[in-house]
Order: sequence, then C-alpha cells, then structure tokens
Amino acid sequence: MTYEVIGISVLWLFLFGYVIVASIDFGAGFFNAYSLLINKHHIISGIIQRYLSPVWEVTNVFLVFFFVGVVGFFPRTAFYYGTSLLVPASIAIVLLAIRGSYYAFTTYGELRHKGWTYLYGFSGLFIPASLSIVLTISEGGFITEDEAGLALDYWALFTSPLTWSIVVLSLTSVLYISAAFLTWYANKAKDHQATELLRKYALVWAFPAIITATGIIVELRTHNPVHFNRLVDLWFLFGISFVLFLGSVYLIWKRKNYGIAFTLLTGQFLVAFFAYGISHYPYLLYPYLTIYDSFTSEEMAVALIVAFIAGLGLLLPSLFLLLKLFLFNKDYVQGNR
Amino acid sequence: MGNEEAVFFSRLLTELTLSFHIIYATIGVGIPLMIFIAQWVGIKKQDEHYILLARRWTRGFVITVAVGVVTGTAIGLQLSLLWPNFMQLAGNVIALPLFMETFAFFFEAIFLGIYLYTWDRFKDQRKHMLLLIPVAIGASFSAVFITMVNAFMNTPQGFDLENGVLVNVKPLVAMFNPAMPTKVAHVLSTAYMTSAFILASVGAFRLLKGSNHVYHKKALFLTMKIGLIFSIASAVIGDFSGKYLAEYQPEKLAAYEWHFETEEGAPLILFGVLKDNHEVKYALEIPYALSILAHGDPYAEVIGLDQFSEDVIPPLYIHYLFDLMVTIGMVVAMVSLVYVVGTWLRRRFVNANWFLWIVFTTGPLAMLAIEAGWWLTEVGRQPWVLRGMMRTADAATTSNHVDSMLLLFTGLYLVLGVGSVIVLTRMFRKNPVEQELADRHGEGR
Amino acid sequence: MHVFLHFYAPFIVLIGSIILAFWLAPKDEVFRK
Repeated sequence: MTYEVIGISVLWLFLFGYVIVASIDFGAGFFNAYSLLINKHHIISGIIQRYLSPVWEVTNVFLVFFFVGVVGFFPRTAFYYGTSLLVPASIAIVLLAIRGSYYAFTTYGELRHKGWTYLYGFSGLFIPASLSIVLTISEGGFITEDEAGLALDYWALFTSPLTWSIVVLSLTSVLYISAAFLTWYANKAKDHQATELLRKYALVWAFPAIITATGIIVELRTHNPVHFNRLVDLWFLFGISFVLFLGSVYLIWKRKNYGIAFTLLTGQFLVAFFAYGISHYPYLLYPYLTIYDSFTSEEMAVALIVAFIAGLGLLLPSLFLLLKLFLFNKDYVQGNR
Repeated sequence: MGNEEAVFFSRLLTELTLSFHIIYATIGVGIPLMIFIAQWVGIKKQDEHYILLARRWTRGFVITVAVGVVTGTAIGLQLSLLWPNFMQLAGNVIALPLFMETFAFFFEAIFLGIYLYTWDRFKDQRKHMLLLIPVAIGASFSAVFITMVNAFMNTPQGFDLENGVLVNVKPLVAMFNPAMPTKVAHVLSTAYMTSAFILASVGAFRLLKGSNHVYHKKALFLTMKIGLIFSIASAVIGDFSGKYLAEYQPEKLAAYEWHFETEEGAPLILFGVLKDNHEVKYALEIPYALSILAHGDPYAEVIGLDQFSEDVIPPLYIHYLFDLMVTIGMVVAMVSLVYVVGTWLRRRFVNANWFLWIVFTTGPLAMLAIEAGWWLTEVGRQPWVLRGMMRTADAATTSNHVDSMLLLFTGLYLVLGVGSVIVLTRMFRKNPVEQELADRHGEGR
Repeated sequence: MHVFLHFYAPFIVLIGSIILAFWLAPKDEVFRK
C-alpha cells in the first residue's frame, strides 16, 4: 500500500466514524424534539438525555480530526475545497456551533425552554444536509477554474437532482441509524415503551434510506459516468451491504437481538461507505484533484502516520473506558446512576 | 489574481473569530489546572470547601468549553476557507502539530465527559481526581500544539523552496522552531494567570455582593496566590521573548518599542504618542532598558527600524497594544501581591469593599491583556503570514462572499457570547454556595 | 548558554511555576481558628 492510500483510508475511516456518531446525535436531537411536538416526550426524552450527555463533545472531534487530517495528508485540498466551500462550510459551522453550545446551555445551564429543544432538534437535520453538499461537489461539474480563481456554481448545484438526492439520503440515514441505535439503547435500559416507539421509527426510516441510496447510483449514471462505472464494478460490495441491511431490518422487525441488529447496520453502512470511497478513487475532486497529485511530502506522511498510531494507542483505551462507563454499564444505562 | 476586498474581510473575520475564541480558549486551557489544584487541596486537607470549589468551577467550565469547542471548530475550518493558499503551504510543512492538536483535544473531551458524570461514582475521591490529569494535560497540550503552528508562522523553517516547489520537508524541525519555546511558555503561563484572575473576580464579586462566607475567602486567596505566581512567570518569560525577538525578528521588536535608530545602550519607550517623522511625545523613557530586554546587557546594540525597508515594517500602532499588555501585567501582579501579603499578615483592608473592587477588575483586565497580546503579535508579524515567505495579501481567498460571512459570524458570536453569559450568571445565582453547602450537609455528607 | 536561554529556560520557568503553585496552594492557615 502506498502512503497515499493509507492516508485516505485512515481519513475515510474517521469520516465513517463521524457519520455514525453524528447521525446518532443528530437523530436523537430530532426525535427528542419530535416527541415533544406529538406529546410523547415523557417516553423517550430520558433515554436520549442519558445517552447524549457524556458523549456530545466527542462527536465534534471526529469531524475536526477529519478535516485537519485532510489538509495534513492532502494539502492541495485546502486550496480547492477551501476556496469553493466558503459559504456552505460557513453555514455548517454556524449550525454546528449553535447546536453544540446550546446543548451545553440547556443541559448544564438549566436553560429550559421548548424553543431550544426545537431549535436543537431541527438544526440537527440541516447540518448533515449542508455537510453532504461536499460529497456532491466532489463529483465534479460544479466548480469552474479561470483567471479569477475558483468559483462554485450555486445555480447548477442547487438545481441538480444529484444534490437533492444526496441531501435526502443524508437525512433518511441519519434518522435510520439513530432510531436503530436508540432502540438498542432503550432496550438495554429495559424501557419497553421507549423501545417500542423507537423501533417503530427505525422501521419507518429503513426503507426510505435504502431507496434514496439506490437513487443516488442512478443519478450518478448521468452526472459522472466514470464514477458510475466504477461503482457498478463493485456491485458485490453493495450486495453485501444490502444483505446486511435486510438482516438488521429482520431482527428489528422480530424484536430480537437489537445489539446485533445495530452491528449489522454499522456493517451495512461501512461496506457501502467504503465501496463508494473505493469507486471515487483516485479522485478527491473530479477532475481537478487526485490523492496522488495533492499528496504531501513523504517525510510529512510518515510523521503523520506515526503520530496517528501513537495517538490511537492513547485514544482507543480512553474511548473504551468511556463506552464501558456509560454505554455498556448497566446501572448507568438504566438510570440508577 | 488578488482581491483586495476579500483580503480585507478575510483579515477582519479571522481577527474577529480569534478575538472571540481566545477568551474561551484561554479559560479552557487554564481552568482545568485550577480545578485540579482546588480538588487536590480539598482532598489533601479534607476541606469540603475546596472540593465544592472544584465542583462549582467545573460546572461553569463546561459551558465555556462548549463555546470554546465550537469556535475552535470554526477557526480550524476558517483557516482553510479564508487562507487557502497559506494552508496549502502550511499543510505540507506544519500539519503535524495541527494533527496532534486534535488528538490532545480528543483526549481531553473523552475524560472531561467521564469526569463530569462520575463525581459520586468512586469510593476513593482521589481516583476521581486522577481523571482530571488527562483533561488538564489535553487542554494544555492543545495550546502547545496550536501555538507551535503560530510560532512557525513567525520563524518558518524545516523546508526549502526550490523554484516554487517545497523540498526537504522536516516536520519536527518545523515544529521546534526558534519562536516556539517562548511563545508556548508565554501562552500557557498567561492562560493559567488569566484563569486564576477570572476566578478571583468571581470570588471578589460574591464578597462584594454581601456574602461573607469563608468559602469565598478561601477561593480568593487560592486564586490570587496562583495568579501572582503565573503573572511573575509571564513577565519573566516575556523578557525571554524580547531576547528571542531581538535575535530572530528584530523588526517586530523595534516596532513594538518604537525603536527607530540602531544604537547601543538603547532606552525603552513606555507609553507616549507617535507624531509625524517618528517623533515620540509624552513617553516614559527608561535608559538602557531596551538593551537589557533585548540582550541582557545595558550596552548592547539593538537593531532599529532604520535597517528595514518600509514594506516589511508592521504598523506602528502596535506599541499601544504592547503598553496595554505590559501595564496590565504589572498591575495585576501588584494587586495579587498586595492581596496575598495582606492576607498573610491578616490586614483588614483586604476585605474592604474598595480593595475587593480592585481585585474584581483583575479578571477582566487580564483577559484584555490576552487580547492585546494576540493583536500585538499577529499585527506585529504583518505584512507576512509566513515571515519572509508569504505575504498575508497573497494567502487570502479570492471569493466574493467573505463580507457576508463576516456578518454571519458576527451574529453567531453575539448569540454565543450573550447566551454563555446569561447561562453562567443564572447557574450560580440560582444555586448559591450557602445553599449548596446546606444541601450537602442535609444529605449526610 | 544560548541554546539554554532560547529553548529550555522558558519551559523551566513554566514548570517551576506550576510546582510552586501546587506548593503554595494548600497554605491557608490564615483561615484556621
């Protein structure tokens, strides 16, 4: 494996980590607000609060890690994406900032007002939508380069069906991932009412998620044929992903082994995420940037990889401790602590 | 290429973001050490007041951390969004500490989460206190790594430019550049100092508002001692910074001090107003002091601005910022010294209202000094973003939307600033110390 | 001397101050009755 491939794989893995933990977080906020709207708040808010409280800060770090890593391994992305993403990325930052800080304000600062719950819950849906625009842009066709520099064609971007299918996919998968996880979590807490409600949400969102995912592949066929053909070559990976999807839906349907169901779901998204990533290879931005022509120097790559391994040696045990204390600790999950 | 408007607004937006972020970042770096010290003293002396102090500081700290985290994310992304050319170069050479910073921050975030939710989970309080060590280390090392990047901007090294191509990149050499030691040490010690004074202000404010509880007096005495130590440390390290500047960035030092003519036995100019033709009026001139600051020798030669061409000299108004920073540093050091000695000698004036008001000002003043210091060093590096390598004007984005982003972020910082202040005041007003102490006794602790 | 002053001295002052802070922090006999 070349350093380029190691670098992008590590970053892609972290982005996947962000997609999962952030989806759970965004979805949880949404379900919390939604249940308040339909007067079922008493059923699930306890469970959601107990999960979110100790981990909210960790979620953000995955994202920071990803974009700092990208600039480290592939410095030219800073120029291309930095110039063209000024507006969408700034909007995402503002939403993330409001959401993150008002979470702390309400949880620790007793700022209890329904308005904040709604703001928190619904802003969580705009963030994946605005972040997913980056994936759309990476498919090419929206950035033009001339003497004046780089420019993003907003009109083309917002009228493209590809943009909107990716936005919808991000929303449906956020809700699906989150509902499936919280079903498991509520079940662990032996909270049957909450489990049933969240299980219903999970089943409701499962099929929209898979349908929009298929829709994107169809969109790509016309938008970026090169990428589409590479996707088709990887059909078996998407097949595995689909089988995993069926497995997790079956288990949730039968009310069995929610833990395994969520593991299968993670597998489903992992395989699909990497299949998408592999088919995108070697481009970071069609047609301007590949992982090869944007790569940093070899010395820096080695230094970053060494730092990464050392960092993981520190982080993995701490993450494990966090999970052990809060996620896998019966007393905490059941609210006895 | 080049878009003057974009450069102007990019600078303004970066300045705004940094000025806002540095408030929360400074608190975020310094407070964990204060909490650790308080909890340590509490356990060591079995004094419940100090434990409660740690507990209450932690509660406030979480709010500031939240704002620090999100504004930190903002500046992290804005660097690439507003200065794409700079980040492309920086990514090649100085990405390592940036990358390590996220690890430090990650480490801190995980253990802070654990620490917050395990106050009463351990039988042995010391185990709970140990969780703070990774929080404090993570917080301080975030500052260390980010400051390394800033130091690199002042003394870029660890690479060669051959025909516009970067070669011979040495990430560790870039990290350990000459500006690093004084900058890192100064940032950390001033963060500890400012955090201590901020907490002292809170204690003084409570005493002024009629509480006479010994809890607040202990808090005040503790934070004033720590503030005193670190304000002296900051001054000593500041002196080292002068010697560093004299050797590596003489034009920056000369602009700080309005030192126009190269000369031996140079005097230090404090305060004053700059008139036309480099004429300085109303200034306090301390003979030989600049030579001592720059070289530790009253007769040493200090390079003046006459040695540099006009287009590499930073704006001269930074001298006022220098005055502000140094004066505040001296004042808060004096106030804390008087308070500490006065308390030791059991003098009554330390609890007098007029003196408590003076004590109260140390927190806001110290934060103002932090701001002045950052403006000083950042403007002092102009016109360069990477000294001698890349001009700020060449580093900026060419986008036409920076002005509207400036408005967007101004709104964001208003919301965050107002929100955090409201939440913090409500949090402590609703639950005063006397109440909490009584509650805890009621629980039979 | 030069390397010492520019590289180690700032950190020595900083770490020394942290140790000093820990040493001085518990000294609050003033409040004992």
